[in-house]
Amino acid sequence: MKYLALILTVLCLAAACATPRPISVDEALSAGNDESLLWRRAQEEEKVIDNSGWLYRNPELEAYLNKVAAKLKAFTDSPDISFNIKIINDPNLNAFAFPNGVIYVHTGVLARMDNEAQLAALLAHEMSHCTRRHSLRVLKSLKDQPRYMYAVQQSVEKIAMAQDLVRILGVSGSRAAVTGYTRELEAEADGAGLDLMAKAGYDPNQALNLFEHLRQEIESEGIKEPFFFGTHPSVQQRIENAGQWLATEYSDKDGGLINSEIFRFKLDKLVLDNARLDLRIGRFDIAQRSVEKYLDRNPNDAGAYYLLGEIFRQHGRLEDVKNAIKQYEKAIALDPSFPAPHKAMGLMHYKGGEQRLAQKFFETCLLLAPEAPDKAYIQGYLQKCINNGEES
Amino acid sequence: MKKLLLLFFSACLISGCAGAAYESSLEDLPKADFSVEIPSGWWKPQHVNKYLITKDDAHLQYVLIQQRPIERPFKKTQKKLRKGMLPLESAKIILDEIAADRNILNFEIVENSPATIDGHAGFKILFSYRNKKGSEYKTLYYGFIKDDSFFNLRYAAAARHYYDKDLADFMRILHSFKLVKG
Repeated sequence: MKYLALILTVLCLAAACATPRPISVDEALSAGNDESLLWRRAQEEEKVIDNSGWLYRNPELEAYLNKVAAKLKAFTDSPDISFNIKIINDPNLNAFAFPNGVIYVHTGVLARMDNEAQLAALLAHEMSHCTRRHSLRVLKSLKDQPRYMYAVQQSVEKIAMAQDLVRILGVSGSRAAVTGYTRELEAEADGAGLDLMAKAGYDPNQALNLFEHLRQEIESEGIKEPFFFGTHPSVQQRIENAGQWLATEYSDKDGGLINSEIFRFKLDKLVLDNARLDLRIGRFDIAQRSVEKYLDRNPNDAGAYYLLGEIFRQHGRLEDVKNAIKQYEKAIALDPSFPAPHKAMGLMHYKGGEQRLAQKFFETCLLLAPEAPDKAYIQGYLQKCINNGEES
Repeated sequence: MKKLLLLFFSACLISGCAGAAYESSLEDLPKADFSVEIPSGWWKPQHVNKYLITKDDAHLQYVLIQQRPIERPFKKTQKKLRKGMLPLESAKIILDEIAADRNILNFEIVENSPATIDGHAGFKILFSYRNKKGSEYKTLYYGFIKDDSFFNLRYAAAARHYYDKDLADFMRILHSFKLVKG
């Protein structure tokens, strides 16, 4: 029982501060029972996540991510691990790998990438956690060191944005995968990941670009979330590590696959969907940038203009009112049968005291969507517009 | 052995009664700017420092009534409630906050409609969700903004058996709700 608790509670909480004794891959592989237990737990957790309603369902995109993973896998030394890439509908910058090869990538981190090489950098890093048996090595290291339990748990609890997921996953063997491994294991996955993506023909300079891009966003937006490589080393340290690796291991080579166009084509819809998630949690500026990025490639999408209008309207700043109306008007011009911008225009005019205009938009909205889920609100506001019109 | 068993059961009964007597108390409910009539059988769990009552156990069903400053940030969304917001708009923020909560699995909105609470224009949301163990829950959530405060009354219960069983009690509480200040 003590052993079980150790496995389920401690080892899987293994996140940041504690520095376990380094264990070789060979030593880790010799622990067959531990590994099979970890894999079983991973499968149980996979079921919870798969049935949670959090997965982003887009078979074509999943196939694309798995194709990139397969390209990378061909250059790993672990043909026994079958990788399966899944997407979680979550705007935070995160990704994690279970020891059985199932890798979850948040829509948030995918939406910030520019090309396939950056995706390969992320996948190669996560795949390296699996091929190097990092979960097992953390388990083995901590098994004899219960004194680390408290420190490890404390460190996990400091990662505010990781807490929800950790709570859901419970005390299990894959928490380290979600919250990040130790500094040494993360650094090892960094190096192995860069090596792997380079072997697969991708330009490893794109990994550096990705880190830099994410660092800027984290700093400019004051985002506190589990950066996808965990909390240690710091993003800055990671940038320096990657720079050093490129300068030494890759100095005699240049370029490689980047694949921007296919990547953007495959991820277009995700960028817009993730912007909705950013809007949901009130990250207005990030959401706006994402929609604008999408509109650069899809300038005739009424839904995107409507979403941009929603970002301005929900931000609630006076200076955004005109911007919101402008976007709604574009959406209506592109698709007059799209009810949502009519409703939004009605709400803006209703709040602005322009009852007649509001009435016109509400009526159109109800005509286009008589069974809208929020029709009772619209009917109520419409009735008030009509009543006020009769009184005046 | 018989004596020992008797002693054991007596001790259990005594401790059970003592617990029930404490838990059935409504006296330590926090002071609030509203009043409600609470049907018999509901009690406040002693470890909770909120206006929260239950009939069987908070895991099975509870009624929570809150008054929160509209400026107070939410846990998940950075959006804020504002004075003059329409009920549709405030309902949207509450739904965004709930949908972003990773403790709530398979979140589904069953109903989202306008409602009047103590004469104030507000909203009513009914949603269902599951916890990690797969148990289904339902929550009926009423809310409205009055001056600088957001008032909400929610009834959450296990979908199976408990939700329907105690819904009428919640509706009685809701209809008895009155602001006592302002």
